[in-house]
Amino acid sequence: MTTQTPVISCANVWKLFGPHPKKYLANMPAGRSFDDIRKDGYIAGVRDVSVDINRGEMLVVMGLSGSGKSTLVRCFSRLHEITGGTIEVDGQDIMALNDRDLIELRRNKMGMVFQSFGLLPHRTVLENVAFPLEMRGQDRHDRRERALEVIKLVGLEGREEYFPRELSGGQQQRVGIARSLAIEPDIWFLDEPFSALDPLIRREMQDEFLRLQEMLGKTIVFITHDFDEALRLADRIAIMKDGAIEQCDTPDQIVLNPATPYVRKFTEDIEKSRVVHARVLATPMNGHIPDGTPIRAGATILQLARQLVNETREELPVANGNGELIGILNRQEALDVLLGEG
Amino acid sequence: MAVAQTNVAVPAPTLTRMRVAQILLAAAVLLAAARPVLPEFLIRVPEWAVLPYNVWMQALFDFIKDDLGLIHLTRGISAVLEVLLDITANLLYGKHRWPFFEPIPWTAIAAGAAVIGYWLGGWRLAAVAGGTFVWVALIGQWNLAMQTMSVIVVAAPVAFLLGLLLGIAAWKSSRFERFLAPILSILQTLPFFTYLLPAVIFFKVGPTAGCVATIVYAIPPMVLMTTLGLKKVSPEVVEAGNMAGSTRWQMLRHVYLPAARTEILVGVNQVIMLCLAMVVLTAFIGMPGLGAKLLSLMNSLKLGRSFEIGVTIVLIAVTLDRLSKAWVVKQPEHFERGTSWAARHKYLVGGIAAFAAFYVLAQFVQVADHITRKQELSMGSEIDDVIRAALANDTVTAVTGWLRWFLITWVLIPFRNALLWLPTPSVLLAIAAAGYAVGGRKSALTVLAFFGIVALTGWWDRSIITLYAVVCAVILAMLIGLPLGIAAARNPRWANPILLACDTMQTFPSFIYLIPAIMLFSVNDVAVVFAILIFATVPLTRYTIEGMRAVPEELIEAADMAGASRNQKLMKVQLPLALPTMAVGFNQAIMFAFFMVIIAAFIGTQDLGQELQRTLAGNDLGKNFVLGMCVSLMALTFNHIIMRWSNDRRKALGVG
Amino acid sequence: MKLKLALPVAAILAVSAGSAIAADSSDPIIIPVHNWSSQIVMSHVVGQIFQSIGDNVEYVTTDSQAVYESIRLGDVSLELEVWEGAFGASYTAALEKGGIHEAGNHNAVTREDWWYPLWTKEACPGLPDWEALNACAAKFATPETGDKGRFLGGPVDWLKHDQERVDALGMNFVVVNAGSAAALWAEIGAAEKDKKPIVLFNWTPNFAEAVWPGEFVEFPKWVDGCNEDPKVGPKPDVTYDCGNPANGYLKIAAWDGMEKKWPDAYKVLTKISFTNPQIAQMAKLVDVDDMEPEEAAATWLEENQDVWKGWVN
Repeated sequence: MTTQTPVISCANVWKLFGPHPKKYLANMPAGRSFDDIRKDGYIAGVRDVSVDINRGEMLVVMGLSGSGKSTLVRCFSRLHEITGGTIEVDGQDIMALNDRDLIELRRNKMGMVFQSFGLLPHRTVLENVAFPLEMRGQDRHDRRERALEVIKLVGLEGREEYFPRELSGGQQQRVGIARSLAIEPDIWFLDEPFSALDPLIRREMQDEFLRLQEMLGKTIVFITHDFDEALRLADRIAIMKDGAIEQCDTPDQIVLNPATPYVRKFTEDIEKSRVVHARVLATPMNGHIPDGTPIRAGATILQLARQLVNETREELPVANGNGELIGILNRQEALDVLLGEG
Repeated sequence: MAVAQTNVAVPAPTLTRMRVAQILLAAAVLLAAARPVLPEFLIRVPEWAVLPYNVWMQALFDFIKDDLGLIHLTRGISAVLEVLLDITANLLYGKHRWPFFEPIPWTAIAAGAAVIGYWLGGWRLAAVAGGTFVWVALIGQWNLAMQTMSVIVVAAPVAFLLGLLLGIAAWKSSRFERFLAPILSILQTLPFFTYLLPAVIFFKVGPTAGCVATIVYAIPPMVLMTTLGLKKVSPEVVEAGNMAGSTRWQMLRHVYLPAARTEILVGVNQVIMLCLAMVVLTAFIGMPGLGAKLLSLMNSLKLGRSFEIGVTIVLIAVTLDRLSKAWVVKQPEHFERGTSWAARHKYLVGGIAAFAAFYVLAQFVQVADHITRKQELSMGSEIDDVIRAALANDTVTAVTGWLRWFLITWVLIPFRNALLWLPTPSVLLAIAAAGYAVGGRKSALTVLAFFGIVALTGWWDRSIITLYAVVCAVILAMLIGLPLGIAAARNPRWANPILLACDTMQTFPSFIYLIPAIMLFSVNDVAVVFAILIFATVPLTRYTIEGMRAVPEELIEAADMAGASRNQKLMKVQLPLALPTMAVGFNQAIMFAFFMVIIAAFIGTQDLGQELQRTLAGNDLGKNFVLGMCVSLMALTFNHIIMRWSNDRRKALGVG
Repeated sequence: MKLKLALPVAAILAVSAGSAIAADSSDPIIIPVHNWSSQIVMSHVVGQIFQSIGDNVEYVTTDSQAVYESIRLGDVSLELEVWEGAFGASYTAALEKGGIHEAGNHNAVTREDWWYPLWTKEACPGLPDWEALNACAAKFATPETGDKGRFLGGPVDWLKHDQERVDALGMNFVVVNAGSAAALWAEIGAAEKDKKPIVLFNWTPNFAEAVWPGEFVEFPKWVDGCNEDPKVGPKPDVTYDCGNPANGYLKIAAWDGMEKKWPDAYKVLTKISFTNPQIAQMAKLVDVDDMEPEEAAATWLEENQDVWKGWVN
């Protein structure tokens, strides 16, 4: 698993906005803060970001508005030209691509979903979904067949001939999702896809999204300003502030061990037991095997709450999906998490 | 550091800005006061400093025309245009040209228009579109109207295409945009005479030249709207296009242009309206049709028939305007799968069927084909008789006679002489002061340059006379338009009818207003001012109403709750907030006035318009252009100062 | 749809047009019309005569000075009213450049000059002599001219030299140009009511003389060169020290290519000649009787068959 090359690998990526960003970055002394840079007349969209995204992983980039998360994801697809650092997609430096190769890359490998949907208002649902296929010159018949397939996948069957303005927000975003999936991308970017939706619809769409992801298993970069959403979806979360990544880790680790005061502020009001999994709290067995039925490694502490409270054993074995024991859960430790004292 | 500095510096310039403006103004007054002792060269630009711009311009035009061979190119273009114009002329009114058809029967066109109206806007628009053509036929103006239409159907699409291309180019290249922007604003203020003469010289007399002038006149808003629309395309839509792997051409064709559809269609609407306005004016260079008829009626002071033609033009304008606006808001609607071709295209099918039915009918029934002179319903001469009788009334003549005497003796002539008496530098300083007051040094230098050029052309006195008529008329228009607008805005029942009247008056071909002016006041400056006044009152009234209406409801309620009386509310809340919008109206009134004062040459003036009219008789392109630039630069000066003020004020008030 | 129906019609038209007149081109003869009534009606009268012999005709509105240049280039085919006083210079200039020639001469005299309606004589009894007029200049004063008299000139694009004459003869008059012929008539009409003295630009043949009887002011007689050579005329050191020609010509001009392209029409054109009363009648049909030009032309042709039938056959 770990030896595999990452799908997206970026190292020391900078994105500055201003009159002569490259020149400025080249001469910039190390350790200048976001505010220092702003005083020099530049805005740091992305500040020295290094992160790898593995195949099949869902990385959620979380931050408040203006934290640079949208800018970062646009650097991944080179919608923004970066100022410094390198970004490799499947081992290929995307900054080195010429226009044609870049277009090829986007046509075949990448899909993107936008916050305000970015649908073409003059095209029907079908035509919107088929748009990327049309751009790469697929013939009419193939286009239509594939588009109908994805439309069905996102549950919009029967609405193919509607125009975007005839649909609700949730439906429009389904079109956006369908369009981004039409070319069967390896990498899927979602820029706050559910932020513009009502809370109830948002929840429904998240479920829908999880269902799709389970089915498709794409490499995903998902952007949100909603910490709950991040916790709910992520394999790993990258929390951004002022263009830099404050912490990048699994949801469990972030709530259990926030790296900076800024991250801590997010985690304070979170019910940790909903996030933390038994697997994470488990300590190595060191040959000692506690008695009784093991608990599931993939269960959250909240899911185990009743059992933990009623349990008589102090140490519980933890087993993974295949029934293999992977460690020992200390009951007291788990109860602390449950009561918010961890 | 830089940020901090400018932040601190902001209050300081506003203080000195007013101070500098005051100093400039004081200098202007001093210069004026010292006029009796001023040396000659400080009163007027001396002869030797007036450079022969007209000769240079003429040489430049000749060089472009003959040496660079532009005339061959333009004559080539005009040959192509001529073919198109001949085709539409043949189809619409049976001009003896290829493809040598009989003219399309009026009933068929009216039916086709009605179906288009129904498709775009239901029964109401169907009635407007169909009704317009029925009126045109019944009033006996079918051929004239079709002569006019035959040019519009060529000019509008060409203007649309050129405007679109230029707009895209300006959007792509900011350098090109910067190059184009001043040209467009000059084109928008250039007096129409200045469009006409080059058109004649480069494109032959008659419909072709008229068509070219119309196209050039209609292009600027299309360019601006295209650029605006493309710039406004949502970045996410653009990114979606990019992420789909669109090439540049695909982006433009499939993403940008369709997404900018609304603005582009608004541009189309503007193009159509401007084409209609200009095509009437091209009667001066021999364009047949409604405009030519109007011109000849004007020459015999027949108000009745002119009025009918005016109504026709307004109706056509309303139809084209409503249809194109309905097209702007018309959004595509989906059909369920399996809908038959005929059902999906039912309007097309219906339109063709109606057209064909009437076409066939017209082959057998003469009335359905064309209306003869005996069958028409014109009331022109009857109206003329009534008007003549009314004007001959002793009370009317006494009033107009007195007005004429009073205004000329006590207002107009003294004011004109005072303006002419002022030394040129004094006027320049006063203008610069106004520029400085609203926009600081840059504005002051801009407006100074504009007026300075006017002074250097040596047409100063005539420019001042032009200015005098404009200023007089706009002041009088304010005395009428502002109270009218305020009264209308305070009484919602009146607002809509008055706005409608404004629209109608504005769409009326401008030179219709010369007829009542001459009839009431005969040949003198009162008639000129009166004609301008009618036209300039329209935007003042309209923008006053709109400005007052746009005051947020909560503010009115807040004022009510504060116990403001009606007048307090007006003076303290509504007017201050409406003022920036009213300034836009004021600006437009001045632009209209500059437009009209040139047309008023047909009453008889001693200003730039008269000289422009004179150049139309010859081939003096250089002089024509210099005179046109004088008018344009004066108009741009006002435009700059007022719009600058209005925009700043808006920002300060946080409205728009 | 329209194609199917219209094609046969067009075909029949084309054939019949082709067979009816063997000689004349089926291209339309382009007749310019200007901004005064007699010329417009006369153009339509002649146009309808051409049509009656099977020619196609088109009318274009053009400037009355620039038209000679257009004729030279063949953009328009002919000009029916070449007034010596008004257009003599432009016409002669065009003749010298070539491409245009004289195709006929109306049996009419033209005169354009300062003119007054008869009631003016009561206020200024010495008229029509110009010096008498100058003596009572104050009677013609208006608010805008102060104590000088006002002379109301025609539109500036008629290129009259009234100002030059006022300067040359040292007259106490200010020239105010009306913007259109209509403005001139409006002024006479306004003056008529209280019989105010007025002096303005007018011409003959013209309908106005039938409505308002009047006379031309007698200036020093026109002598050739008076407008160019200071020595000519009563004052040795100035130009324009004379009136306009009192009996100017009224000619017909044609494009050189016309004879070849429309020989039949051209033959008719050379025979055409109208008289002063006939021309005034044409103008009157429009200016007084409120007819449309086409209608006026048809009426005139109907009433005056004996005049023009002879030209056609």
